[in-house]
Amino acid sequence: MTLDPALLARLGPLQVRARKVMEGVLTGLHKSPHHGQSVEFSEHKEYAPGDEIRHIDWRAFAKLDKYYVKRFEMETNLRALLLVDASGSMAYGRGAMTKLQYAAVCAGALAYLLSRQGDQVALCLAGEGGTWMGVRDFLPFASSPTHVQELLRMLDAGQGRGPTLLPEAIDFAAEKAGRRALVIVLSDLFDVTERSIPALKMLRSRRHDVLLLQTHDPEELEFPFDDPTRFLSMEDERQIEAQPRQIRESYLSEMRRFLEGTRRELARADVEVEQIRTDAPPDRVLLKLLARREAA
Amino acid sequence: MLQFAHPAYLWGLFAIALPILVHLFNQRRPRPLSFGAIEFVLRSQRQKARRLRLRQILLLALRCLLIAAVALALARPSLKPHGVQAAQAKGPQATALVVDASLSMRYRLGSRTLFEKARAEALAALDRLGPDEPATVGLCAGPAGLSGASMGAPSFDRLAARRTLQTAQPTFLSSDLTGCLAAAAKALGESPVPGKRIIAFTDLAAHSIRLDAPPPLVPPPANAPPGAQGIRPNVVLVDAARGSELPNAAIVATAVRPSASLGPRGYEVVATVANWGARPLAGLQVSLKLGANVVAKGFVDVEGRGTAKKTLGAVLPAGVVAGRIELSREEAQGLDEDDGQDFVVQVPRDVKALIVDGSPSSLRSRDEAFFAEAALGPARTGGRIHAQTLDADAAANASLDGYDVILLLNVAAPPKSFAEKLRQAVQHRGAGLFIALGDHVDPDAWNDAFGDLLPRPLHLIKTAAEPGSPGAEEHAARFGVIEWSHPLFRVFGPAEREGLESARTWRYALLKPEGQAHTLASYDDGAPALIEKRSGAGRVLLYTSSASRTWTDWPIRVSFLPVLQQAVSWLADALEQRQPPPGAVGSERTLVAPAGSRVAKVLGPSGESSFRREPTHADDAIVPLQAPGLYRALVAPPGVQPREEPTLSFVATLDPRESDLRRVDESELKAQLGGAGSAQVAASAAAAQGTTGTPLWSGLLLLGALALLGEGALTRR
Repeated sequence: MTLDPALLARLGPLQVRARKVMEGVLTGLHKSPHHGQSVEFSEHKEYAPGDEIRHIDWRAFAKLDKYYVKRFEMETNLRALLLVDASGSMAYGRGAMTKLQYAAVCAGALAYLLSRQGDQVALCLAGEGGTWMGVRDFLPFASSPTHVQELLRMLDAGQGRGPTLLPEAIDFAAEKAGRRALVIVLSDLFDVTERSIPALKMLRSRRHDVLLLQTHDPEELEFPFDDPTRFLSMEDERQIEAQPRQIRESYLSEMRRFLEGTRRELARADVEVEQIRTDAPPDRVLLKLLARREAA
Repeated sequence: MLQFAHPAYLWGLFAIALPILVHLFNQRRPRPLSFGAIEFVLRSQRQKARRLRLRQILLLALRCLLIAAVALALARPSLKPHGVQAAQAKGPQATALVVDASLSMRYRLGSRTLFEKARAEALAALDRLGPDEPATVGLCAGPAGLSGASMGAPSFDRLAARRTLQTAQPTFLSSDLTGCLAAAAKALGESPVPGKRIIAFTDLAAHSIRLDAPPPLVPPPANAPPGAQGIRPNVVLVDAARGSELPNAAIVATAVRPSASLGPRGYEVVATVANWGARPLAGLQVSLKLGANVVAKGFVDVEGRGTAKKTLGAVLPAGVVAGRIELSREEAQGLDEDDGQDFVVQVPRDVKALIVDGSPSSLRSRDEAFFAEAALGPARTGGRIHAQTLDADAAANASLDGYDVILLLNVAAPPKSFAEKLRQAVQHRGAGLFIALGDHVDPDAWNDAFGDLLPRPLHLIKTAAEPGSPGAEEHAARFGVIEWSHPLFRVFGPAEREGLESARTWRYALLKPEGQAHTLASYDDGAPALIEKRSGAGRVLLYTSSASRTWTDWPIRVSFLPVLQQAVSWLADALEQRQPPPGAVGSERTLVAPAGSRVAKVLGPSGESSFRREPTHADDAIVPLQAPGLYRALVAPPGVQPREEPTLSFVATLDPRESDLRRVDESELKAQLGGAGSAQVAASAAAAQGTTGTPLWSGLLLLGALALLGEGALTRR
């Protein structure tokens, strides 16, 4: 069973939606041959006979031309920081959910999953209007059920507005995460300053495990407009009148270049990127993501 | 002036408002949309904004153009020519379309000939005729006016008229446009439609129009009261050249004659080149061709409106030679057909003659062969006759093989063996034998030696007067009856005959009245002077006096020389034949078959040529000369394979008047046709009809189609 976003949107408060998604993910995980084990990659060791061949790091082999085996350590208190972009552009969405709502569902479901395993979860809402520069709200690491409820409430109350301040928020998150943590960024990465990608690279360079869930509305990817339209920026005062049919080809080309560029750039920095559409069932998206991470 | 056949369609121009509205609709206030990825919209719009605006304007313009072009084309606009109104009659008109198909219409102007242009104009004119206007079509070529059958009555059978025009071809004939217009007017008289109109498509060459002729008149209908007058038709002459000057150079005459300076069989061809244009022509190339080979080439300068002669020489092969002399073709424009003329000439073969000198002398002028050698020398025969002289003894031992003619001059009766050699040469090999007498001739011994080789046996030597004695001049014999038509004497015109008739002969042989021989000339006493007989395959010609001054003074007279030359050629069967004179294209040539044979086939310039026969002379052929070039006849007795008869070959040449394309004076022409009220000269068929003018709608449709294509290409991007 998959959770159609339209159906999900009708399920009421975020708590319900996130839990539903989490259940969907768990159901999927039970079917998966990779059983959940909260493990964390520790270090590399040069391969020696007797080591598990499946633990050979092929990526390292590709880079260094030597066999290395990944060594894991059981993580009983994994720290995961959910960084949700709450800028104006994330409020876009004329379908079942806006990008921010979709990101909140995913973040909520992940928080459920993580706290269920006893991991600590923190939330950072990136946007203007908070105490810290670029951070509208922040909930520190904790793993209790009430903490998750608080986190969900904060997500539910979050509204997309103002300019993208993701780089500042990432800096903040890097600071707050302290020792090595899993940082999950949910954003469209529409950043006029183009500083977000360097900030993500910086985060990775601090040995945090960084996962970007790049969220887009289908209309942003397909540009299905026909009538003459005045496009208004959701983050500032910019606006433009255009004949969508006439610029569609050029728009799609620009968008394609942006997505591919982002993926390529971050892949080089070993930042995992998952580009997701808000019309895709979130449980499927998360399940696929987790399965892939476990496989890695 | 612009005019419209269906002005109601012009309302369609209001449809231009549609693309304008669409354009404005597209420019309407756009609906606002808050959009997350506005950065990408901005980037795209920046790239395309200027191009898009230009494209929108272009699209609007193309759509407006498309609608305007279609609406205007439906309204069938045309440019009405000036000056047409005056000649235009009211109401429907019976129309005669006359297309000039004369040689001059083959003139190339650009990529098409005048005829092709005229035909296209005529077809367009036919299409423009109203449904109530009957039409008839005629081609104007040849001295008889209209080519082929006369013009039929105007009818509504457009298909037939169209077919006539489409299949029409230009001829090589001259034309009489005045006659053609008169014939067209007569044909219009057979139509009951009151309006009468003649549209003639022509080059307006002055030579085809007779300004002193009465104007064309449509005869009154058959049921008209007696004394009814004919009416003047509305005549429009459409100028196929559209007023362009038509300069032209042509070869208008060719003469071929032997040229002694060029050696044996040397001939010179004289071409008369005419320049009908006002501009002088310098360095015009003239080529002499035999078959495909150019054998001589030269250049000639011709003044404007002038003529010049160019002589080209060549050594021709023996036999019938067909050649052509031509001008270099002008690429841009011109009349190609008159740039060359064919000729045909029969070149006699070379003759080898042996002169047997019966009375050689160390004093040249007293030598028996002196005058014969002088007459047959290369300087006088152009090297065509190679004469060798031997004395009688040497000749008796010499072989006669290879000699075409043997001349025995005052030879004593030869031994039997020599006589036998002579007989063999004449009777079996077909050699000719010329015998002249003298003091060494003993009639009895000769009769004995030659026997039946002589045309008639010798009887005795008659002395009419002793040379130098008193009264000798008076008593000397003179030529009496001469067969002037014989090849020996054909070269003498009436003025030159006296030179032959005045020769005096003091002594000559009388002949026995035996044998079958043909007397060509006789003395005033009736005694034969020149007598010939066919002997076996050859001929023998006996001159009963001497070839030196001993018996006659003829050898010192100028008439001796051509007769002896002709006699040698004739005996050798290598007489120079005159070819029949050239025939004019458009005329007929009667080919008279040689006795006992019949003209079986005639080959013209483009293959087998048709001919007809007169009932009274069924063996002859009357050939209509339709095209310029060489005509050859194949003759044969009934039931025998035909062979070519060279003497019947001739060439047909074009009428040089057709090469002159100078235009007639328009005002004089209008006056001849009945004044500007009923005649006009127009530049196009559309102007000729005076109703629709120059059509513009096809151009507009093309414009519309282009606009549609452009619009499609822009929208697809």
